[in-house]
Amino acid sequence: MKKTIGIVNLYSNVDFMGLTKRRPVASVSFLGRYGLIDFALSNMSNSGIDAIGILIQEKPRSLFKHLKDGHSWNFNSKAGGVSLLYNEKYVNHTKYNNDINNLLENISFLENIPSDYIVIAPAHIITTIDYNKVVQAHEKSGAEVTMVYKPILDANISYVGGQILHVKKGEVKAIELNKGVKKAANICLETYVINTKTLLQIMRQAKDISTFFTLKDMFAYVCDERKIHAYEYNGYARCMDSINAYYKYSLELLNVDVYSQVFSNKWPIYTATNDTPPTKYLKHSDVKKSFVSNGAMIDGTIENSIIGRNVVIGKGAYIKNCILFNGSKVAGGAVLENVIMDKSAKIEKQIKLAGHMDAPLYIQDGDIV
Amino acid sequence: MGKEIVAMILAGGRGTRLEALTAKVAKPAVYFGGKYRIIDFPLSNCANSGIDVVGVLTQYESVLLGTYVGSGTKWGLDGSKSLAANLPARERGEVGATWYAGTADAIYQNISFIDQYDPEYVLVLSGDHIYKMDYDVMLEAHKEKNADATIAVLNVSIEEASRFGIMNARKDGKIYEFEEKPKAPKSTLASMGIYIFTYKTLRKYLIEDATKVDSHHDFGMNIIPAMLKDKKNLFAYEFNGYWKDVGTIESLWQANMDLLHDTVLDLYNYKKDWKIYTEDTLEKPQIIGEEAEIKNSLITQGCYVNGEVSGSVLFHGVRIAKHAKVVDCVLMPGVIVEEGAEIYKSIVNENEIITSNSCINSKAKKVVLVSQ
Repeated sequence: MKKTIGIVNLYSNVDFMGLTKRRPVASVSFLGRYGLIDFALSNMSNSGIDAIGILIQEKPRSLFKHLKDGHSWNFNSKAGGVSLLYNEKYVNHTKYNNDINNLLENISFLENIPSDYIVIAPAHIITTIDYNKVVQAHEKSGAEVTMVYKPILDANISYVGGQILHVKKGEVKAIELNKGVKKAANICLETYVINTKTLLQIMRQAKDISTFFTLKDMFAYVCDERKIHAYEYNGYARCMDSINAYYKYSLELLNVDVYSQVFSNKWPIYTATNDTPPTKYLKHSDVKKSFVSNGAMIDGTIENSIIGRNVVIGKGAYIKNCILFNGSKVAGGAVLENVIMDKSAKIEKQIKLAGHMDAPLYIQDGDIV
Repeated sequence: MGKEIVAMILAGGRGTRLEALTAKVAKPAVYFGGKYRIIDFPLSNCANSGIDVVGVLTQYESVLLGTYVGSGTKWGLDGSKSLAANLPARERGEVGATWYAGTADAIYQNISFIDQYDPEYVLVLSGDHIYKMDYDVMLEAHKEKNADATIAVLNVSIEEASRFGIMNARKDGKIYEFEEKPKAPKSTLASMGIYIFTYKTLRKYLIEDATKVDSHHDFGMNIIPAMLKDKKNLFAYEFNGYWKDVGTIESLWQANMDLLHDTVLDLYNYKKDWKIYTEDTLEKPQIIGEEAEIKNSLITQGCYVNGEVSGSVLFHGVRIAKHAKVVDCVLMPGVIVEEGAEIYKSIVNENEIITSNSCINSKAKKVVLVSQ
């Protein structure tokens, strides 16, 4: 059998403002109990890939803590496992700190685990792609590179800055920057299958063109020279490319029809355990249309919100359209609407705080209001 | 270098009075508190007390329990020199296949396991009890008293005392007499089935006891009385926290309800660093629907609630449809309550379906167990 290994590529220009001040986008909390990276990792795990490399761009502490030895995602810790690929040499140099340089610095990862194919996926585009199917289609196509795309109808507001693929007879003919002009587009999900040999060639080739070239640049560059297979995916895909997108798509999942596209018993999403007890609902709790995580204690009203682990909501507090991160506390009587509260932030006064649906109010981790 | 202490958890019991809940599961593996199995409590206590070698003695339905315990990873007992070991009754070279004849015999049959770690002390626990306890503090007391055995006791009411093994002790805690379920109790110090022994002494008594044909090979009935007869140093160690033996449907239900009404067990970790660890069930997020009404309840990940829930404990994968009503219940994993169904004061066994518009135990006089 051909061997496939996975790479989760955390290199991107995406930031979530305050939320990514001390952590990478990959470890931003999602739906109360996950980290964003859990989806790419679970997809790999569910696709039977058991050796994973994570290309870390920056701020790795929370990621190390979350991933440990990859045990939670079922990666065999001896025969496979998770390798954290960090590029110490270039970390303070934005241009040199790119995915190709990182892979070259950590080339032993690719050398030590012999493989035929490599699946590359980002952490900030949430999907439930079965990479196994993509690999099979890739193999059948005879191409050296496969790019996964999704036909979408809102390219004017999503994936802006991403790539639009021009697909003809199952092949990528041209790659264009999404400037947010067109609505309908075949948008690239930054998910690739590539022959290991080809990846090594491309990386060496990149060095001869520009030291600053990224994998994305290189794929666009080789598009003219090599056959690139296009794989159409029509399942759930959302690009979390800003704090507003993150907020919007998180709350969107509270709708059952969206939720059921993502969560099924056949495709579990794994995450690290936190050993928190079940959620405790108290006498005055009134919760509707929300995700609630374990360890939370609720004595207030919550609507259309996402409540993280160990969150405490006091008696008579009112929470609507909010995302409350782990350990945040809202005192009784406070009113919060369209607010993102980062880890362990506290609302201690009976105040009213409101953001906007398109621009939520962000409260920094550990802050007291 | 030997370990200071090794823990041995007695987990072989069936728990017949739990009826259908233990038809296929040993009592220590029975679910509790919306997320846990009973044995998570002694195992987490061991982990939090700094004990890192734990033997789990299994007999009744040992496969499920043994698989659950695994190598101890769920409780962090998985370093290069730490583990939880499943020790079922087995075939042994010199005597052939044997069952564990009693609590003392179970430890006796695993002397070679304990010897590997060359411990100073052995902690013997029951796998059936719900409580949080720092065994390290008990060990300090054991060392300070230079005891041969220290027995954790709970001060119960005089009425209850007849149901327990009672330790009659002097003011300084030294035990001079042990009475099993006395009709006229002289004291109210009930044994919790938690013992710390100086291993050298225990080993000698276990080997002696094994040769006695008329012995029940039981700690309470044989080992402790034999030590007392020899005037060994036995001390009572009084425990003041929440402790519950969930031996019956009624007491299991009550212990679950206790979690809603008081904070004595401190499940929410108000006192830092004493989490109860358990299996991570990889469930979906807990999702609360638009028509849900939830009061005074514990609900865990993987639940979907769109009906009315009050005074209840819901395990992973439970689904409550709209217009359903769940009052004062414990719903085990995977239970489905369909639209319009009502259920009161019940424990519902795993994966049961409460069908649409049915009504169970509406008078709610006694706790009922719903199981096929």
